[in-house]
Amino acid sequence: MKSLQIEDLHVSIGDREILRGLNLEVPSGEVHAIMGPNGSGKSTLAKVMAGHPDYTVTGGDVKIDGESILGLEADERSRTGLFLAFQYPMEVPGVTIANFIRAARQARLPEGEELEATDYYAELYSKMDQLQIPRNFTSRAVNEGFSGGEKKRCEILQMAMLSPRYAVLDETDSGLDIDALRIVSEGVNALRGPDVGMLVITHYQRLLTYIVPDVVHVMMAGRIVLTGDKSLALKLEAEGYENVREADLEAAPVS
Amino acid sequence: MSTVAENELGIDRSIGDFRYDVDYAYDAGVGLSEATIDYISDVKEDPDWIRQFRKDAYKKFLDKPMPTSWASKDLEAIKFEDIRYYLSQGQAPKRSWDDVPEDVKRTFERLGIPEQERKFLAGVEAQFDSEAAYSNIKKAVGDQGVIFVGSTEGLQKHPEIFRKWFGKVIPTGDNKFSALNSAVFSGGSFIYIPPGVKVKHPLQAYFRINAQNFGQFERTLIIADEGAEVVYMEGCTAPKFETATLHSAVVELVAMPGAKIQYITVQNWSANVFNLVTKRGLAHEEAEIKWIDCNIGSRLTMKYPGVVMKGRKARGEVVSIALASDGQHQDTGAKMIHAADETTSNIVSKSISVGTGRSSYRGIVDITHRKGCKNNTECDALLINPSSRTDTYPAISVRGDSNAVQHEASVTQISAEQIFYMQQRGLSEGQAMSLSVNGFVNDLVRQFPMEYSVELKRLIDMEMEGSVG
Amino acid sequence: MSSTLIPTDVVVQAPSLLSDYSTSPGWPDWIQEMQQAAAATFHSLPMPTRRDEAWRFSDLKRIDLSPYVNSGFPGGSCDWQARSLGLDSVAARFIYANDELVSREVIDLPPGVVLQPLGQAAVEHEAVVREHFMREQVRLGSAKFAALHLARLATGTFLHIPKNVRIDAPIEIFHWVEGENVAVFPHTLIVCGENSQATVVEHFLSADGQPALACAVNDLHVGRGASLTYVTRQEWSRDTLCFHLNATRVARDASALALQANLGGAYVRTENLSRLLGEGGRSDMLAVSPGSGDQFFDQRTFQEHAAPHTTSDLLFVNALDDRSRSVFSGLIRADEGAHFIDAYQKARNLLLSPQAEADSLPGLEIQADRVKCTHGATTGAIDPEQIFYLLARGIAPREARRLITLGFLGDALKRLPSDAIRMFLDEAIARRLA
Repeated sequence: MKSLQIEDLHVSIGDREILRGLNLEVPSGEVHAIMGPNGSGKSTLAKVMAGHPDYTVTGGDVKIDGESILGLEADERSRTGLFLAFQYPMEVPGVTIANFIRAARQARLPEGEELEATDYYAELYSKMDQLQIPRNFTSRAVNEGFSGGEKKRCEILQMAMLSPRYAVLDETDSGLDIDALRIVSEGVNALRGPDVGMLVITHYQRLLTYIVPDVVHVMMAGRIVLTGDKSLALKLEAEGYENVREADLEAAPVS
Repeated sequence: MSTVAENELGIDRSIGDFRYDVDYAYDAGVGLSEATIDYISDVKEDPDWIRQFRKDAYKKFLDKPMPTSWASKDLEAIKFEDIRYYLSQGQAPKRSWDDVPEDVKRTFERLGIPEQERKFLAGVEAQFDSEAAYSNIKKAVGDQGVIFVGSTEGLQKHPEIFRKWFGKVIPTGDNKFSALNSAVFSGGSFIYIPPGVKVKHPLQAYFRINAQNFGQFERTLIIADEGAEVVYMEGCTAPKFETATLHSAVVELVAMPGAKIQYITVQNWSANVFNLVTKRGLAHEEAEIKWIDCNIGSRLTMKYPGVVMKGRKARGEVVSIALASDGQHQDTGAKMIHAADETTSNIVSKSISVGTGRSSYRGIVDITHRKGCKNNTECDALLINPSSRTDTYPAISVRGDSNAVQHEASVTQISAEQIFYMQQRGLSEGQAMSLSVNGFVNDLVRQFPMEYSVELKRLIDMEMEGSVG
Repeated sequence: MSSTLIPTDVVVQAPSLLSDYSTSPGWPDWIQEMQQAAAATFHSLPMPTRRDEAWRFSDLKRIDLSPYVNSGFPGGSCDWQARSLGLDSVAARFIYANDELVSREVIDLPPGVVLQPLGQAAVEHEAVVREHFMREQVRLGSAKFAALHLARLATGTFLHIPKNVRIDAPIEIFHWVEGENVAVFPHTLIVCGENSQATVVEHFLSADGQPALACAVNDLHVGRGASLTYVTRQEWSRDTLCFHLNATRVARDASALALQANLGGAYVRTENLSRLLGEGGRSDMLAVSPGSGDQFFDQRTFQEHAAPHTTSDLLFVNALDDRSRSVFSGLIRADEGAHFIDAYQKARNLLLSPQAEADSLPGLEIQADRVKCTHGATTGAIDPEQIFYLLARGIAPREARRLITLGFLGDALKRLPSDAIRMFLDEAIARRLA
């Protein structure tokens, strides 16, 4: 089965362990959600998968379609087909959106092959239109002076242009109002399909009414403690994370 | 040099030229020679090594040229041969409180100077009786093992500690004036804080007022041992009426690993004084040294507090306020030398130039051999009148791809629209100016201890009132 | 700007450039006289020393004039026109090779515009040339080299735009150097009449990558209400010692915008002096310098506000890799009476390697009142979070740094009014960083 697989992952920052044996599998074609309280390690998981240098993997593995990616550099992981939509996307002054995405696309072509400009721009504009990003944004520097909503839409635009095999969306809903949330969710939903697996990380249930998940996981203190279907999200919203903590103690899954 | 404005303020700086009829117990006479050095060492009963130290320094002083190639040409007005290099005040001066001009008395009133201090400041008393007023504090710190004595007593009674650091932070040959000080120093403090001791109450130079501490060539050495913390204050906001024209002090600070030293100075010498000071601190691992400096008086002040960050993760900071009024030149700045990795430094300098006053900022930030260092510098100048002047001359050197430096400077003035707006709300023009100026320096003034910050604000108010028009 | 002590035992440098000196007969008498005086000045002035404030932090060992020889004409085999690839549409194009004018094309210049080699202009337009030629004192440290320039001057470009005339398309000038250790002395004198408008782009290039000496002067006089855009693309060989000395005088209500792109050179000394002499005047001073290898950018600038209600805005960006270094020393001065001025200065340094070094000396001398003046210098490395962002998009580390560096340098290019010139420079810089 083609999937994004996380096996018994242990991650530390300095000498503090944040992920304590996390297990998770996202099959291609499915959308999984991870919910959890602040401090559970959700963002750490996202960044570690992408290869952020601040974190140390002390045990376990992350595989894409059966192949481990932990030995790969961040850019290599991306080219393998992993996409991370950042919670706080960086500003890159002086580098336009057009050039940025173009460079990312160019990096995926074999040595010597040049990106075809007209096709590229045609595709870029059509996807910008879908995400309701004004076309003149192509000449704006990436994320510079963007509102929260604009930044998140820019992330989804990049995802659309890079066609990943697996996408991790790290708290994509944070800082968005209802309208922005809707547009971003539509963009994400438009990219769902049998060849893409998605992991949506969120604190609030709200996003999941728009991006309806196939499976919901609950993460606490660096581990997945509970798994269910989309109704689990509603239950969490209603009852809070405390109840889950108790359930965790009672029926701790094997890590 | 007074302007109409200053007369209205009641700060008549020409009073500084007032001569007392004093009979000094020890007087080395005018001029400087090797004989003068011997005289000083004899009177103080210096150990041989200090006598030699003074003589070597004297030679260096003679060798070094005046720094007029970059500094103010006004330095040429200093007549070394006319200066008295050692005076020990024994007898009381013959001035009575009744002789003190009314406006001087009013200044003290407005600045809120405590009763006991006024007579000393007005030159009516030679000594301020610190023992009675502050004996409690002295006892308290003594119990913690803190050594707080004059520099002479320090080198005589605690030679091991003294000798270890004396002249190490600021070598004699650092500049012409540190050499001079090293030759003829007298007075100043020697302070040692034992490991782990955090001194709660700020230590004041001889508890705020003492004749010796206003000496011309005072030499201060403060050592905070591992993990110790101390705040030291010197100076006074009230104008100090001095007969001497040259003040050349040297202050050396040593912060051992994890220690913190804050050194606060308020300088308000009379308008005939050349105030040339060398101040530097050595910060070891994870230690912090902070200089908080306020320069209001003197004819020319040249002072560039510095920190050499010698240990990893050390931190240096300089906070400086300068007010240059008519005929004054405040030439101040900071030097931050990053001599270890992951060190940080911060400089905030705000200056106000009034009338024909001139303020200059000179800085050096050096991060050329280290990794992971940061510096932030902000220097802002406020010009009050059309003839006010300000200069900024920083030098920033950075090497390597893991360091970051940011330097920003600005020059502004209070806009006429701002003043008009405040007047429309009922403030007088003078009040409006004070408010704006205080707003400009406010966050820095707040870093001074309470007693000073209140006086400082009042002093600035007074300066500002006279500046309008 | 500061007085220097002339040592009594100075060994005067008499390089082969001036050893067999005689003035060039092509020039009119009055210029020959100036040249003789200049040769004497050159010999009497000492080489810069560490004590000179104007050469603080410079690497003086690299300022050695002895290897260089006078240029001979490179030979006619080269098709200079074909090699001089510049902008697509220009109003005129001059090409110099080893200080000889080898091509002169006028495509579309409005009537009255004078664009001539300096020798011709010095005769046909003597009054204007005399009034402006080398009038500005060189104050930022290179008086000796300016004297050498004048003494050895063989030709130059004179551009005079008459009153109310606008030249829309840019005028392009190419300067080539060819041969080993050859010295060239490019000179450009631009006089903009009242309310005129022009754009000039100069390219400085090496034909064969050999070591060379270039000592160039440009004097820009922007008359009342006039507007001048002056762009320099310096791409000498990586083994060239070069001086680019500028003086810009801005009259009442005039505006000057100058941008230097330093893509070549071994030791590059640039001096830019902007004098705001009339109310309403404005000067924008920009420079973009990507450094690599052992390149050294020695940048000295002076924004002088001599009149009230004037504006100046400086932005110099340096991206330094390998062991390259830069010194930026910039002074903003507001003279007495220069009230209500706006003066800005920003030096930004991006350090890309452990041995790259940037020294900044941003200075202010304000004697006026009601001024708005800020200056700043920032030095740092690329933000690691930024790099990670690009890596996370699949962009390889080298390419990521290149993109971010291009973005950083591009900030200064954004201020160019002409898209065509901006794109041209964008590409030149991108090629340089490839």
